[in-house]
Amino acid sequence: MPTYLLRRVGQSLLAIFLTLTTVFLLVRLAPGDPAAAYAAPTASSAELDRIRAQFGLDEPLINQYGIFLRDLFTGNLGTSYSFHAPAFDVVMDRMPYTITLAVAAITVTTVVAVPLGVWMARRADTKRELGANVLTITGQSMPDFWTGVMLLTLFAVLLPVLPASGFTTWSGLVLPTVTVAVLQLALVSRLVRREMVTALAAPYTTIARSRGVSERALTWSYGLRNSAVPLVTALGTRFAALLNGVVVVEVVFGWPGVGSLVVRALATRDYPLIQATVLVTATLAILVQLLVDLAYPLLDPRVRLGKAA
Amino acid sequence: MTGQSPLLDVRNLQIELITAHGVVRAVDGVSFTVGHGETVTLIGESGSGKSTTAMGILRLLPEGLAVLSGSVRIAGRDVVADPAAARGVRGRTVSLIPQDPMTALSPVHTIGRQLGGAIRLRRPGLSRAQAREKGTELLAQVRISKPETHWKTYPHQLSGGMLQRVLIAIALAAEPELLVADEPTSALDATVQASVLDLLMELQERTGIGMLMITHDLGVARLVSDRIHVMKDGRFVESGPADRIVERPAEPYTRALLAAVPRLGAWDEGEPAVREAASSPARPPGEEPR
Repeated sequence: MPTYLLRRVGQSLLAIFLTLTTVFLLVRLAPGDPAAAYAAPTASSAELDRIRAQFGLDEPLINQYGIFLRDLFTGNLGTSYSFHAPAFDVVMDRMPYTITLAVAAITVTTVVAVPLGVWMARRADTKRELGANVLTITGQSMPDFWTGVMLLTLFAVLLPVLPASGFTTWSGLVLPTVTVAVLQLALVSRLVRREMVTALAAPYTTIARSRGVSERALTWSYGLRNSAVPLVTALGTRFAALLNGVVVVEVVFGWPGVGSLVVRALATRDYPLIQATVLVTATLAILVQLLVDLAYPLLDPRVRLGKAA
Repeated sequence: MTGQSPLLDVRNLQIELITAHGVVRAVDGVSFTVGHGETVTLIGESGSGKSTTAMGILRLLPEGLAVLSGSVRIAGRDVVADPAAARGVRGRTVSLIPQDPMTALSPVHTIGRQLGGAIRLRRPGLSRAQAREKGTELLAQVRISKPETHWKTYPHQLSGGMLQRVLIAIALAAEPELLVADEPTSALDATVQASVLDLLMELQERTGIGMLMITHDLGVARLVSDRIHVMKDGRFVESGPADRIVERPAEPYTRALLAAVPRLGAWDEGEPAVREAASSPARPPGEEPR
């Protein structure tokens, strides 16, 4: 187990390093000039050269990479061109918003999708389930920018009960959370339904029924417990994705999270800010994945970490 | 209905299964009884309807996909007419020993949790510790050595033979009057089969439980049964005392079944079965027991 953990942490560090290197190269290969984005539209080419030198972009690529690595290991991710502040601090200012929205959305998703999936599994292939199916498929098919704008129109404009934008009060969390959750809900509830149908049809469920175990215990103890591994995997993956920011929803609701930050960083070719965002979000995503993996042996005793299946 | 009513009284049971290819009449009007301390065997090939009969009696076929008619009285309560009666007798009057022990226990719960749960379902007053005590006793009864060490193990850590013993212990936890054994040995190794059958017979002798045995193996049927019903295409083609069916089969189908059965030898103790083993041809290809 400690060996496994050590190896996984090593793998994670390598993955983060490779991601950073890839991003470092890609942003510089992509068309666009940070100096041009930074300078006034009327700036002369001498001025642009001066800005490039200031950002260290006049050096050969390999030297830039060397400097980037040296700074990285001293914990310096550079200064954001547009915020004139350490890029890492700019990202960390946004992280609480992103984490809040991600936690809220995944909580709502779990609280609604698990009972809904169980409800559908218990009524698999009946007319009533068909109704739930239509709802979840509709939820899955609605693009989030559309859902967001519709919710905004309904609950902030026509029936102004909730704030339309920003995060000044907790009520501001409601609409973005619902918008994100609607999409996740459909996916997760259908997964719960599929896994539960399998578990409820399994011989061990029938045999448990034969010894008088109640339908309630069969559903929650036998069914859901045996569906836990795929469910936790799905929730973990969804959560990790949400931590990378939900660009569209953040833009629609003026949510000050990492998603909208990354859009701005890309638009201004703010290389240090892009790299810092990638470092923070990739680290978080990998951490969540590691926690999910560590949970497997607790959820299924047949799983032994570090052993081939 | 003369004198004491039988423990299990099945009359004109029909079971129709709704499948992708339409409605199939899997069981077509069978009638039989099982009394206290009696073993009755339903024997037939795969698809003859014998397991469907067993699962139908316990109402364990998928609701909505299986239509039952006729009557099945377990200790006087008709489970065909009243699904609530089925819930009432399961885990109390009647227990099931399943076909494949490897898939019959929840893989994510310990042996102790599942056995202890079964005990506490029957005796809700018991504490966890008392249930554990009774559970280890039951495990010892089904000849699991060092039962207390197995309480916290998971099903995947035990062999098929061990699991079948655990499942028998779980079935006994209900303190049933009737045991339905659905091919209890067909998923086990030949050597383990003998010891599990042995155990079942010993338990029956000791507790006087009634047993409905489902098997495709006439050797097993001959060994354990008082009466045998030979089943084909959902009907009984031949019924009678075990000795008569094995020694003087009237139907060609029964004779074919007899010829197809491989002999194990370990438990037939020089009985007529041995003679048949010597005279019966080697197992025909493709007749591998499931």
